[in-house]
Amino acid sequence: MNINKYDKNRELFMKAVKVIPAGIYGHLGPAEGCFTPVSAYPFFSQQAKGAYFWDVDGNRFIDYMCAYGPIILGYNDEEVDGAAIEQLKKGNCVTSPSSIMVEFAELMVDTVEMADWVFFAKNGGDVTSFAIMVARAATGRKKVILVNGGYHGVAPWTQQEGYPGIIKQDVENNFYVEWNNFEEVERIVKEHPGEIACFMATPYHHPVFADNELPADGYWQKIRKLCTDHGIVLAIDDVRCGFRLDMAGSDQYFGFKADLMCFCKAIANGWSVSALCGIDALKDAAASVKYTGSYWLSAVPFAAGIACLNKLKKIDAPKHLQEKGKKLTDGLVSIGKAHGFDLKVTGVESMWYMRIANDDSFLLHQEWVAECVRRGAFFTNHHNHFINWALTDEDIKKTHEIADEAFHILKKRHF
Amino acid sequence: MTDHLTKANINLFAILRNLEDLCAMEDETKLIVKDCNISIQFIVKNGPEAFLILKDGKCALQKGRKRCKIKLYFKNPEHLNKMFDGKANPILLKGFTKLGFLKKEFPKLVEKLTYYLKPTDQLLKDPKYLEINTYLTMFTAFNAMVQIANHDRLGKLNSSRIPDGVVAISILGGGPSIFITSKSGCLEVNNETDKPIRAYMSFANTNIANAILNNKVDTYSAIGGGELEIRGCIPMIDNLNKLLSQVPAYVR
Repeated sequence: MNINKYDKNRELFMKAVKVIPAGIYGHLGPAEGCFTPVSAYPFFSQQAKGAYFWDVDGNRFIDYMCAYGPIILGYNDEEVDGAAIEQLKKGNCVTSPSSIMVEFAELMVDTVEMADWVFFAKNGGDVTSFAIMVARAATGRKKVILVNGGYHGVAPWTQQEGYPGIIKQDVENNFYVEWNNFEEVERIVKEHPGEIACFMATPYHHPVFADNELPADGYWQKIRKLCTDHGIVLAIDDVRCGFRLDMAGSDQYFGFKADLMCFCKAIANGWSVSALCGIDALKDAAASVKYTGSYWLSAVPFAAGIACLNKLKKIDAPKHLQEKGKKLTDGLVSIGKAHGFDLKVTGVESMWYMRIANDDSFLLHQEWVAECVRRGAFFTNHHNHFINWALTDEDIKKTHEIADEAFHILKKRHF
Repeated sequence: MTDHLTKANINLFAILRNLEDLCAMEDETKLIVKDCNISIQFIVKNGPEAFLILKDGKCALQKGRKRCKIKLYFKNPEHLNKMFDGKANPILLKGFTKLGFLKKEFPKLVEKLTYYLKPTDQLLKDPKYLEINTYLTMFTAFNAMVQIANHDRLGKLNSSRIPDGVVAISILGGGPSIFITSKSGCLEVNNETDKPIRAYMSFANTNIANAILNNKVDTYSAIGGGELEIRGCIPMIDNLNKLLSQVPAYVR
């Protein structure tokens, strides 16, 4: 099997570090992206299409990260990009927003079961922060309950005291609970009557470096009732899961109704837009909060979003992505088992998390993932993955072959 | 924001502790301590206690109390810190006949330490100086980090997030290794371990280790460039790095 070489990648990175902090900062970069070892991974892409991207050395990767979620249909989907280009010819970032904004809002309200209105921004973090502000404006309260290990972006309130740049005041209104621990949430609510503005969580727990956990039976129903009884806004961060579990919203998938829902990633197949959907009772509060951005009402991502959502509905994306994910992960697990490795898969199969559970240091897993990446299957070793619609059975078969060779090498090296 | 107690612990167990290694590595320092047979007890009211033993050409610093020939008392951690800054004197409780050591050999040791802990570009061209500076800077940084983890308010928050286990920090190609053990948010640093390693932080060579530890190259760029490798339980290293970022506020 061909092993990738990355000479041009490295050369370009050495140029990048001179003019960009860290060379490539953030989750797509080698440090936060946990490229272990760095020599196994590409740094820069040249082009992308369907289920693949090619790096600057011409190596092709079957992409199981989908740019960390947005690319749900595959790169450069013709329908989505076609709609975007058509809109671009008419106008994008204009002093008066395009009427297509209304069209997109109507589609979102029709698609997301809980939604009576929608507010558009750019990134997921824009709308998670907005959700907190809306909850505070609506309730007059300031405290927020969050789940330990949950990720809601990078605004100061989402981080931890002790992190560089974060002060006590950024987080002092946060309470933290363990996932699935309803009693802990209940205790905090009862100890702080009339103080909690919002409970925010992802629909299921998908932290990094840890097995993903689905909600326990009845968890969300109990949380819903607690929030209703105590006037707490229930905000679901559906940025990562949105439109992958259920087109009507992940709250529907788990059998409850949220008051606010945050969407981004898969909403427009990579075109930059995010959305906060809300119930009628919070509409005035949302309108009252001062929150805006130069690019937030740009028309092209709206056009892309309309095309994307319509296509996702047409193809029944959640169902088929789940099927593809199951086919892939069942194969990975059984191949691992054949070589004596316990590859544990958790979460929902269309966006699964996996790790080799034979050791708790992640060392074996990092080695195996590196060997897969070197052979053209782009996995990460710390984060959940994503299936896209363009992935074929042929791609899955190729991935299984790569995984098999990688497991073989791992076994030879260690046992 | 820094606090005197943490700084006092750093001054003793990160800065002064370096004398152990300096006496083993550097020829002129070896000569200074060759014929020494002295022990110094540091007692800090509401602060740390440590004793320094110089004997048989070796130096050892340990926590706690031991019968010593010289006993230095400090009214509070701030008093100790001022002494390290050259702005105060300790209160001598014992060792009045050993003042000669405190006035002659000890200042020379401190001068050597300062020399090797404050590099210039010119000095770093000397391979032996580079080796010693890198070694001492590395041990100062990680020992200081442990004191911050165990005493500083924010440090305790950061260390509470570190999963249990051992992190091995090494300079590859025959360089030194240091092992940080985390247990329930408390950190300990050792020169060796028999426990399984859960995470690794490896500098490619002495030059890059020196550059990173002296803040000439940022760790993120070094990781991307393959000069600093992190692997294993990365949440351990991620949170250790947050502690390391607190060190410059205490150690200038």
